[in-house]
Amino acid sequence: MLVHEELCVGCGLCVKYCPVGAISIVDRKAVIDQDKCLECGTCGRKRVVKCPRGALYENPGVYTYPRSIRKFFSDPMAYHPETKVPGRGTEEVKTNDVTGRVKRGEYGIAIEMGRPSVGASYVDVEKMTMALAKFNIEYEAKNPVKSLFLDEAKGTLKEEAKQQRVISGIIEFTIPAEELDDVLATVMETAKTIDTVFSLDLICRFDDEHPYEMPKVPELAKFGLEPRPNSKINLGMGRPLVEE
Amino acid sequence: MSHSLHRRGSCESLKDDFVLLVTPSVGINNKGSADALWKILDIVQEVGPDNLGSYETGTIFTGATVEEIRTAMGDTPRVRCCFDSREKMFEVIKRIKELDAGLSVVISGLNEDVLEMAKDLDLRPHSVNYSLGIHGRTEKLPPEEVLEFITMCGHGMISRNLVKENIEAVRAGRKKIHDAAVAIAQPCVCGIFNVDRAEKLLKKFCPQQNEAD
Repeated sequence: MLVHEELCVGCGLCVKYCPVGAISIVDRKAVIDQDKCLECGTCGRKRVVKCPRGALYENPGVYTYPRSIRKFFSDPMAYHPETKVPGRGTEEVKTNDVTGRVKRGEYGIAIEMGRPSVGASYVDVEKMTMALAKFNIEYEAKNPVKSLFLDEAKGTLKEEAKQQRVISGIIEFTIPAEELDDVLATVMETAKTIDTVFSLDLICRFDDEHPYEMPKVPELAKFGLEPRPNSKINLGMGRPLVEE
Repeated sequence: MSHSLHRRGSCESLKDDFVLLVTPSVGINNKGSADALWKILDIVQEVGPDNLGSYETGTIFTGATVEEIRTAMGDTPRVRCCFDSREKMFEVIKRIKELDAGLSVVISGLNEDVLEMAKDLDLRPHSVNYSLGIHGRTEKLPPEEVLEFITMCGHGMISRNLVKENIEAVRAGRKKIHDAAVAIAQPCVCGIFNVDRAEKLLKKFCPQQNEAD
């Protein structure tokens, strides 16, 4: 985002809205630190911030690669051109009843780097993907992180991507159930080496014989992990339904 | 992304917090789904959501109207909204089931409540996305009392400074609880920030203000 200096009156209204503290007031003008700005677009939303002079505007170069990485991984109102899904994510459990992405005997994992409230550099994302490389993981094809790999087998990312920071980048993949223990061990060990936070997701199927009991994942306890009492539940109303 | 997952807070504070996501799947059943989505929007509007929005328009708390949300639906239309009571959530799911549109429906909420609703409606839950917490440099996080607000917007649009400023304004009596809750909700563009829950969370900072203020 950029500031029309001639319009800005330095009221400071926009400062508190920036999720990463990129806006400051210098000599009675709003200044946006371009390294810190993640291009989420919040400060420029006229219905939200209501800048009295309309002084904040979108950088015309924000959809040009590699600056566009910030935009697509930070602004939920920006539709990714390849996935046609808004922002940085995928349909994950939202449509698992019709896509069958995560089948019985599998777990879906998402490592949401930077979430919540901290943001992430792709250097940190790469630390995680390199650590996971030993598992020969096939990353979710529709997740925009996939397009940033330099060498997926090694888990390395493109240099220009590693110069970008984003609100969050989601490392998303599906594994056979028997690999969960080793994968979680790697994820939790790598957590000690990164300079940000991540939120951890695990997708699984309900048991046909116990449809109204939350599925049990005994491997979690070993890592001190416990599912929160609130989660996202796909009610199985999509058609055609994937049963496998 | 799992934007309605990872809401923080106690079971007590999450008990009247339900997010509804109706999502046609790209390449499977998104074509021609707009008509069904419109009908579902009508149901949502009739029952009365706490919040409602879309990626194209923003939310009803920033001035978007239901008509605007409806008109802006594109090739991958979606319904995102939240409810502040189990009864309302139940009614909406019941009516979506009766509509039989064949679109995927996900509810974010307390597991116990969602499963009970599914059972009462004879629905068989298909899959779950569990939240396994926050890891890494957790010392960089804001206090839990701030996270409870921030995590109601999974896209990370709500800044910690905005939350802190509004908590302080309520505590000092400079702002009414409802106004502060709406101010915090506004950066969330898709409509899953629960304003009613935010009001309840703010009340503990200023017990002398009541909900009617």
